[in-house]
Amino acid sequence: MPELKMPEPLHVVGRSVQRSDAAAHVTGRTRYAGDYTFPGMLHLRMVRSPVHHAMIRAVDLSRAERVPGFVRALTWRDVPHNVYTILGLIGVEPEEEFVLAQDRVRYKGEPIVAIVAETEAAALEAVAQVRLDLEELPAVFDVEEALQPDAPIVTHWGSNAFMFEGHPCRRVRFGDVEAGFAQADHIVEAVYNSSPIEHAPTETTGCVAVPEADGRFTVYTNTQALYFSLDNTAIILQVAGKRLHFVGGTVGGGFGGKVDVIVEPIATLAAMKTGRPVRYVFSRSEEMQVSSTRSAWRIRIRDGVMRDGRIVARKVTSYADSGAYSRQTPYALTKHAANAAGPYAIPNVSIDAYCVFTNRTPSSAMRGFGVTMASYAIEVQMDRIAERVGVDPWTIRFVNAYRNGDMKPHRKLAEDATLIETMQAAAALVGHELTDEQRAMTSAPRSPGPEGSPGGEAAAAGSRAAGAPASAGAPAAPASTAEGVL
Amino acid sequence: MTVVEYFLPRSLAQAVDLLSRHGPDLLVIAGGTVAMPLINDGISLPRQVMGLRFVGLDEIEPSDGGLRIGATTTLTSLLRQRHVPMLAEAARRTASWSIRNMGTVGGNLFTPPPGGDVAVALLALDAEVTLEGSRGRRTLALSEFQTGFMTTALEPQELLTGIGVPAVAGETTYVKFGRKEANTPSVVTVAVRVARDGEVVTDARVALGAVGPHALRARKAEAVLVGSSLEPGAIDEAAEAAAEECEPFDDGIASAWYRRAMVRLFVRRALEELVQHVALEGR
Amino acid sequence: MGSRIVSFELCGREVEVLVSPMATLQSVLRSQLGYTGTKEGCRQGGCGSCTVLVDGEPMMSCLLPVEDVEGRRVTTIEGIAPVAGLAPIQQAFIEKNAFQCGYCTPGMVVLTKTLLDHHPSPSRDEIIDALGGNVCRCTGYAPIIEAIEAAAAGATTDAGRDAGDWPDPSGER
Repeated sequence: MPELKMPEPLHVVGRSVQRSDAAAHVTGRTRYAGDYTFPGMLHLRMVRSPVHHAMIRAVDLSRAERVPGFVRALTWRDVPHNVYTILGLIGVEPEEEFVLAQDRVRYKGEPIVAIVAETEAAALEAVAQVRLDLEELPAVFDVEEALQPDAPIVTHWGSNAFMFEGHPCRRVRFGDVEAGFAQADHIVEAVYNSSPIEHAPTETTGCVAVPEADGRFTVYTNTQALYFSLDNTAIILQVAGKRLHFVGGTVGGGFGGKVDVIVEPIATLAAMKTGRPVRYVFSRSEEMQVSSTRSAWRIRIRDGVMRDGRIVARKVTSYADSGAYSRQTPYALTKHAANAAGPYAIPNVSIDAYCVFTNRTPSSAMRGFGVTMASYAIEVQMDRIAERVGVDPWTIRFVNAYRNGDMKPHRKLAEDATLIETMQAAAALVGHELTDEQRAMTSAPRSPGPEGSPGGEAAAAGSRAAGAPASAGAPAAPASTAEGVL
Repeated sequence: MTVVEYFLPRSLAQAVDLLSRHGPDLLVIAGGTVAMPLINDGISLPRQVMGLRFVGLDEIEPSDGGLRIGATTTLTSLLRQRHVPMLAEAARRTASWSIRNMGTVGGNLFTPPPGGDVAVALLALDAEVTLEGSRGRRTLALSEFQTGFMTTALEPQELLTGIGVPAVAGETTYVKFGRKEANTPSVVTVAVRVARDGEVVTDARVALGAVGPHALRARKAEAVLVGSSLEPGAIDEAAEAAAEECEPFDDGIASAWYRRAMVRLFVRRALEELVQHVALEGR
Repeated sequence: MGSRIVSFELCGREVEVLVSPMATLQSVLRSQLGYTGTKEGCRQGGCGSCTVLVDGEPMMSCLLPVEDVEGRRVTTIEGIAPVAGLAPIQQAFIEKNAFQCGYCTPGMVVLTKTLLDHHPSPSRDEIIDALGGNVCRCTGYAPIIEAIEAAAAGATTDAGRDAGDWPDPSGER
């Protein structure tokens, strides 16, 4: 029996290590999805909605079919399971996104007909020859307008709010937020808005789907989520997963923008229908107009604050603009709800986080999505509070920083908290003079105070004792409901 | 296929001949930096295209104290010439190295805003364009040549063959303001030229880019400056006039409101820079 | 219809290729000749991923009809390295980790190779100016600029190493 060779001791931490793909990158030998070509490869281009919201009365392909090089067109009738939801894989319902539009388009750029042709130029020309008869509908682009009773309804089930276990928003309730406001010395309220952000990867989203001799399909793709894409493709095409072989590799920039499943199913379907390799790679304008973005957010925050800077109540009402379909946004809202109180120990918290459908381009994952905009809003709000109370921005954060063992509003104990230590290190780096008290603070669990009050230390006083437990254990307030944990 | 014939004439005579034989459906390109993106995306689907890269119109030569610029002179060549510094600066601030190696001075006059900044400098220099076709040759002031958004006074059978920059008096300043430092579309571009007799302005040009359907002269601002001594009040008044008479638009780069505000700011800055520059030179 | 044979010099060898009218140099390189190191980021002249050299001058191959390079000398990323090993600029990109996803890297390397050929000691401002048309969305430009400075200063360590030997994935050197 051959002797097993023991692995060499690890020696990488703390050293610079050359990347294994470095030489290929600098010599142009790295193969990206769009670099694969195959004999007889066809090119797929998409007919897209020129408007934000419309009924489709008719689609006339007759002129497109006469373009030299045209091979075939695919419509929703060709798609075995045309209505899906990416997060269906983790139980999110309902199925709601159309692979190819049926009777209605809900955003500008929504795919309607896929054209497959011998060359890309022929495909582009055939796309230009497709005649759409559309009846334009009123469109909605603002999250709060979309929730008004008279708003145009975007979804096929009659509500512009995604339903979280029967509620139109993801909710967190902790302590008694109204009682907190009642005892507060100051009320600080503000609204924070952000625009959609496009990932703009240098390599556009795309794939090449190749029929193999054994009846399988190999798909060379630049997805960031290989098996997610494979599983959704299998569902949409109603084929066994084992018939699909997805080959990932180096992604030419993703940033979250390549986790949606928007090219592989239709390219694979085209390869099935034609028996030939099919290339479907977004143009730059498709990448900018159609690939998902970071959601636009509106976040309303109302805080009750004591004279010494302690926040005793925080009410957050957030709206994420999901665009026309949900993609990964419901997941973002759950993450958001869990983080929207910030890294602060606040005894009374109420969070309503809405995932709202509008006629904008669907939004989805992007670096920290759900939390990034919460952090932006919360930290600007902290500065606003500091200004109102008349303390510096460092102090307001030291006063409110959570500690290990504090219960967070969504009923997770704070563990491995390092906010205080991070601020201390940051202060040293930028030469900011902290107070002796701030220098002495740690994230260690608060010691139980007198009379069993949970806060201990400076936080032992009224508000925290009146609110939720800060040290451990079950929620104290019977009215609390725990939601918001995925 | 979209393009069925691509012609690459080797002389102006060949190009004119091809144009008269194929008529207005023949798309004419030079550097390709404006047309090719549209063709690549299927937005433009021409059948027949003529490329001017090899017609031999790519020379820059001094002429009567001014400059004669062939229409297919690259922006790189314009950047390298030393005769008219403002044109070198306009070229330097246009696009990027690779694009300047391809894009041409003539093509820049057909480039829609917020591109086409070389035209702004040329406008401030009273440039003329030469148009040639089967019926002969004519010249036209640049200010008469650009007529609207992507429209010109070019007749269907004509080609733009050259740009003439006359010997003009005065000091010049060129300011381009974009969202980033390099390779950027304009929020606004300002080119000014001021001729003076002693302290008194005798002639002025204020040309604006990216705040109208094409490069524009701010004639009311020019009128304010003539007769003034470029004193702060006159500069403010000229900037205000330019902001009023420009025709800004909204796009992905800036709103019309912002562009107008930036016209006010950058016309003032361009004139102040010119005053400072003259003062330094006079020392 | 209208197809013609175009011949030009590609990375030191003569090629002849039958092209459809106005096919871009980029598409001919990638789809017909298999030179996929030239990338496709926008086909608008806006990203620099497809930068090639024509007679030593950088151009965007997505905007260049291949007929326009008839008889000319085209250099792509595949022609930058010497017969054995890597060019100093390639070595410098590796040593400075001047890439993350790598998609902009071929265009960056081609552009800066010719920058250093024209201009062996560029200032930092000249480097920044030269890079104006080449977009990196991951790394940021600081390590790229550092790599160019290092290459200009002759400060790379292993120029001439056989590319096939690089790197040792164990991290040992």
